[in-house]
Amino acid sequence: MTKPDDPMPDFSDVEGGSSSSAPPPATRTYTVKAGDSLSKIAKQIYGDANKWRTIYQANTDKIKNPDLIHPGQVLTIPPA
Amino acid sequence: MIAHARRWGVMVAALAGAAVACKKAPPPPPPPPAAPAAVPLSVTAVSLGKAIGADKSIAQSLTTFGTRDTFYASVATVGSSTGASLAAVWTFQTGQVVHADTQAIAPQGPAFTEFHISKPSGWPVGKYKVTISLDGAPAGAQDFEVKR
Repeated sequence: MTKPDDPMPDFSDVEGGSSSSAPPPATRTYTVKAGDSLSKIAKQIYGDANKWRTIYQANTDKIKNPDLIHPGQVLTIPPA
Repeated sequence: MIAHARRWGVMVAALAGAAVACKKAPPPPPPPPAAPAAVPLSVTAVSLGKAIGADKSIAQSLTTFGTRDTFYASVATVGSSTGASLAAVWTFQTGQVVHADTQAIAPQGPAFTEFHISKPSGWPVGKYKVTISLDGAPAGAQDFEVKR
């Protein structure tokens, strides 16, 4: 029950969404090469090695240990 | 003799025609125009309303809403990007974050991106704000009010 004059009202039932007339970014892939690491790939693609987690989170079905990726693995690269 | 003169006449006329034709040779085609430089993506406007059109724009801008309304924020952008992130954060007058959403876009020209929120139990009256950011940088904001 919403209390209109409550100074700290409850917004837990707020529903939201978004859409655009612009197309979504194309999903890219990257094939792991010998000597690659997630931070090295992130540096190459995003220009920021600290974004390795973005790649890791998009590939948890393929990467069990973020410190261990294998040549030939095809990773999904989400938009920056 | 007459035939000979006619032949000379024809030859002179032909030479004259060729000379004219040479003078009217078409000029070389102009070089193709240079490809327009890509315009970087930027936000040009943030509008609020109770409804959006098929193109995600708002026909009637509002700054006052009822307690049962759905709030729409339409963000107009120009420019192009292969991947950008537009985010909307809706806040109440207390600073409480009501809702936040992100939309990934890859526009190749002018575009509209809409964000909307609703609250089935009704909005508390008061002042609200929607703040828009583009790739994490502030890009616009709009204040609005909910009245009984």
